[in-house]
Amino acid sequence: MPPLTPRLPELRRREALHLLAAGIAAAVGGCAKPDEEILPYVHQPEALLPGVPARYATTLSLAGWGRGAQGLAVDGRPIKIEGNPLHPASRGATDVFMEASVLDLYDPDRSRAVTERRSGIASWEMFGQAYARPLAEARARGGAGFRLLTGRVTSPSLQRQIAALRTAMPEAVWHVHEPLDEPRARAGAALAFGRPLRALPRLERAEIVVCLGADPLGPGPDQIRLAAGFMERRRDPARFGRLYVAEGLPTLSGIKADERRAVPPHGLPGLLVHLANGFGAGLPDPGLAEPERAFAEAIRLDLQAHRGRALVLAGEALAPDFHALAHWLNARLAAPVDWIAPPDPMPGDGPEDAPGDIAGLARDMEAGRVSCLAILGCNPVLTAPADLDLPGLIRRVGFSLHVGCHADESAGATHWHLPLAHELETWSDLRGPDGTASLVQPLVRPLYGGRSAHEILSLLAGEPARSGYAIVRETWSGQGGADSEGWWRRCLHDGVIPDSAAAPLTLPEPALPALPPLPGPPAAGLTLELTADPSLWDGRFANNAWLQECPRPITKQVWGNAVLLSHGEARRRGVEAGQMVSLTAGGRSLAVPVAVVSGVADGVAGLSLGYGRASAGRIGNGIGSDAYALATQAAPRLIRDVALTPLDDRRAVLRTQNYVEIAGETERLFRRIDLAALAGAEPKGVGADQPTLLAPWTGDADGHAWGMAIDTMACIGCNACVLACQSENNVPVVGPEEIARGRMMHWLRVDIYDAGKPERIEAGFQPVPCMHCEHAPCEPVCPVAASVHDGEGLNLQVYNRCLGTRFCEANCPYKVRRFNFFGYADGQEYASLGAEPVKAQRNPNVTVRARGVMEKCTYCVQRIASERQAAERDGRPMGAVATACQSACPTRAIRFGDLNAEGSAVAAARSDPRHYALMAELNTRPRTTYLAELRSPSPALSGDRP
Amino acid sequence: MVQIFRPGADTLARLALAALAVGPVLAVGLAYTLWRSPYATAQDVTREQPVPFSHEHHVGGLGIDCRYCHTSVEQAAFAGIPPTETCMSCHSQIWTNAPMLAPVRTSLAEGRPLVWRRVHTLPDYVYFNHSVHVAKGVGCATCHGPIQTMKLVRQAAPLTMGWCLDCHRDPAPNLRPREAVFDMAWTPPDDQDVQGARLAAAYHVKSPERLSECSICHR
Repeated sequence: MPPLTPRLPELRRREALHLLAAGIAAAVGGCAKPDEEILPYVHQPEALLPGVPARYATTLSLAGWGRGAQGLAVDGRPIKIEGNPLHPASRGATDVFMEASVLDLYDPDRSRAVTERRSGIASWEMFGQAYARPLAEARARGGAGFRLLTGRVTSPSLQRQIAALRTAMPEAVWHVHEPLDEPRARAGAALAFGRPLRALPRLERAEIVVCLGADPLGPGPDQIRLAAGFMERRRDPARFGRLYVAEGLPTLSGIKADERRAVPPHGLPGLLVHLANGFGAGLPDPGLAEPERAFAEAIRLDLQAHRGRALVLAGEALAPDFHALAHWLNARLAAPVDWIAPPDPMPGDGPEDAPGDIAGLARDMEAGRVSCLAILGCNPVLTAPADLDLPGLIRRVGFSLHVGCHADESAGATHWHLPLAHELETWSDLRGPDGTASLVQPLVRPLYGGRSAHEILSLLAGEPARSGYAIVRETWSGQGGADSEGWWRRCLHDGVIPDSAAAPLTLPEPALPALPPLPGPPAAGLTLELTADPSLWDGRFANNAWLQECPRPITKQVWGNAVLLSHGEARRRGVEAGQMVSLTAGGRSLAVPVAVVSGVADGVAGLSLGYGRASAGRIGNGIGSDAYALATQAAPRLIRDVALTPLDDRRAVLRTQNYVEIAGETERLFRRIDLAALAGAEPKGVGADQPTLLAPWTGDADGHAWGMAIDTMACIGCNACVLACQSENNVPVVGPEEIARGRMMHWLRVDIYDAGKPERIEAGFQPVPCMHCEHAPCEPVCPVAASVHDGEGLNLQVYNRCLGTRFCEANCPYKVRRFNFFGYADGQEYASLGAEPVKAQRNPNVTVRARGVMEKCTYCVQRIASERQAAERDGRPMGAVATACQSACPTRAIRFGDLNAEGSAVAAARSDPRHYALMAELNTRPRTTYLAELRSPSPALSGDRP
Repeated sequence: MVQIFRPGADTLARLALAALAVGPVLAVGLAYTLWRSPYATAQDVTREQPVPFSHEHHVGGLGIDCRYCHTSVEQAAFAGIPPTETCMSCHSQIWTNAPMLAPVRTSLAEGRPLVWRRVHTLPDYVYFNHSVHVAKGVGCATCHGPIQTMKLVRQAAPLTMGWCLDCHRDPAPNLRPREAVFDMAWTPPDDQDVQGARLAAAYHVKSPERLSECSICHR
């Protein structure tokens, strides 16, 4: 029966009767049980239990950096990613990109075949034949004209293969293009120390952290390690310290700052120079204006009082010289920063064998010096600066090929496209941001016939065909002494190569750099900051529906990007939220809607990269505007003097939380305590003493009482929990049209509360799952008892009883119930999500909800039940249960457990002085409770606060 | 004057009125009966299988233990259907050329699984766990019936929610010592009431209230 959506043409009477008759026939036939089949193995793998998740240690990459993961597979299907506790870059937690990678694996839009531009679908053999000539020619010339373009390469095996390729063809050139790299930080370190270095800030040892345009807590390859270290220290009030942030656009670090000032990028060097002068730099006084001067003075005093425990971080908005100045200042402060030799060769590094950059490649292509170009695992046509005109240059190359998971923009520009296997399908190895090597092991055979980067590079080098496993195994052969095989198996089991982290270097005192003159404000236009998107990163995740629908942490925008302007700037330029504007820089322009956001510096506009893609796939095509169109070689991320012209039309900016200012309300909903007042704070209970009409709580049958405590001080709003919940609980995607109608399905949302003024953001994050109220308002209003309690305190939703009155949703004060207006997961999926392979991602231990059914957070009842059943089976007491959101959280802000258990962390949280319940005055007695946000504003700046 | 209504009309009218009252009740009753009937529950339906595997012969005749083939019944929710190589561990020695076993040999030779038709099917929102039931002393025969007498397996119980709850609300009559769980010949002792209650306590079977909560089986 076709779905009766408004998209269908209206039914005529006869068709309606046909359908009615068919429906009755189907209903009668449906009484009989469906015929199901069981397919056992032919040879069952040993130790495999059907239907029981098995864990495998592996590694997932972001921008080339490896983060250790554990893949959960049921009957050979990967269904969920969790962090690997042994890996220093994930520490057992995840971020949105790791969580979402399992959906990428099943993406039906992934490329499935070798294609040739003119004749379409081809085969690996045909490619081999076509490639034989250009390879022979390149070899005859010693590799001259042969170019390999990759993203960042940290994989020891791939580095070894590239080195071998360059030895065999000495004239061949390797180019690296990583769109969201930090070239200025790298250049700054080279300026200060005379060699390429990578800084590893140790936030767990830094009490005073000063971020000048830097965002250590924000999305990125090192987010989990940095955020975990930062919050680990903050849990101890004696080492709470203070976070100062000056930045043009609000970032997660800015939201968590104790003192934040919105400063345009050109104002940041002045602050840094002022601080450096306080430590004897003797530079010309930057002449800061009053509010900034007081801010800088307060920082300077704190830095001086915390020598050895203070740290200054500079962001990409600052020129390399100022990065070098920050390193000089950190050396003065004896700041907790480790320096390591970079595990990733990048353009601009000193040594002879450093790879070339993309601009060099473009120059050579223009000069006709490139005869064979291989693009391996990156998408330069999308991400290269627009003024290079890469597609046109690639067409001049005699033979070009692209290797990627998707037939993306770059595949459209080359002669050949080869499908690359997903990381969960391949053998490989990767290094983490601190140099730790870890292994990538496949959880499943390639679903769509792709091959790994190792296998393809071996093919490109003209070697005899070898498996990816053999290549990776060879890299690590001879390790581990006598018991090499045992060593390898242990590494595979752990996922991490022991003792492979780069050793911290002892460096000489950095020189005080000779500084260029301080930048002034742009003449007339705006300063446009192009940022990494918190969900799509550089655009590579654009076809991932979970990430598209994951609310961006601060703007809460989904399914698109918008240019962020401050309230004042929007007023001055006469534009309002949702209005389309044209941004023009260097003769190129871009139409994009406006979002007005608190905390943006006046004169600054922000726009995230990765949208407006033409060849992402059915999910990502045409969503948002492509900010790469404005990026140039000279100004890849920060564009001064952008002209903003209001246009006549509007485009809705879809946001899942509307920005509302309720006087006084925020304080009650989002408790916030200053560190100085912590000693006098009292825990707040979960209920009021008023009588209730609801049935009294009768207690817990088995002695378990499940509860959750969420520490809003530790929450950085990164959304890892939201996506972990989505992947664990089969939470469907609804798509932009439904979001525009105010419908969404996330069982766990992260609310942002702003207690500041429109121009002075003082916000915090509050994750809101179901409260599992002991006096649950949803229960008495359900006419069919689909909303009931169990004896362990869980508020259950019985899907097969629910008939969709939505009374419970109306009566829920926390608005955590979600209704399937359509069969979002069951026959009416968004875009390509109904495809057969996507269904394999679903967790078999969680019911897929049908149309017309209410759903909500269950405290991961399937995980509780699995542990209970295992305990019952083995005759032992229940062990710890971790919900999906809890195990994903990088800062361990979410704690779940048994309130009755001895020494339980959730029970302890209830007597914490910061404890409070959301809307306790309603007397719902929630089981999910909160710990208040804790901040330590500077006493020196108290006069400067609103 | 001609009578409009014949004498029988009163009876018809009374019948019609009675039907108005009784009809809906009967309709509900019919629906309920249909819903509980073997047509809907597939109780006692014997399904054709690709290989006519006889539990009567293997269990009743040869006395092979359930766990020889259903290997994960004590560890996992799913009891497990044996892989082809389990069949061939014996049938590579005996009955090696039986035409009946041709699909098994083909499966092993071609590496393709046998396609069995499922006999015991629960709705997707029911999460039954074999290992817990076995650990609590519920015998195989309690739900699956006298398997040792079935030439082709049929579903012995209705497997409706009401049937599940009958036991979850009062498990004692259906409990047996753990060592007898796989014993197809076991019969309850005369004092099963006493023994069942004793076993329920010894195996920490949860209270009837707890066992009849939604979250025990549904997620």
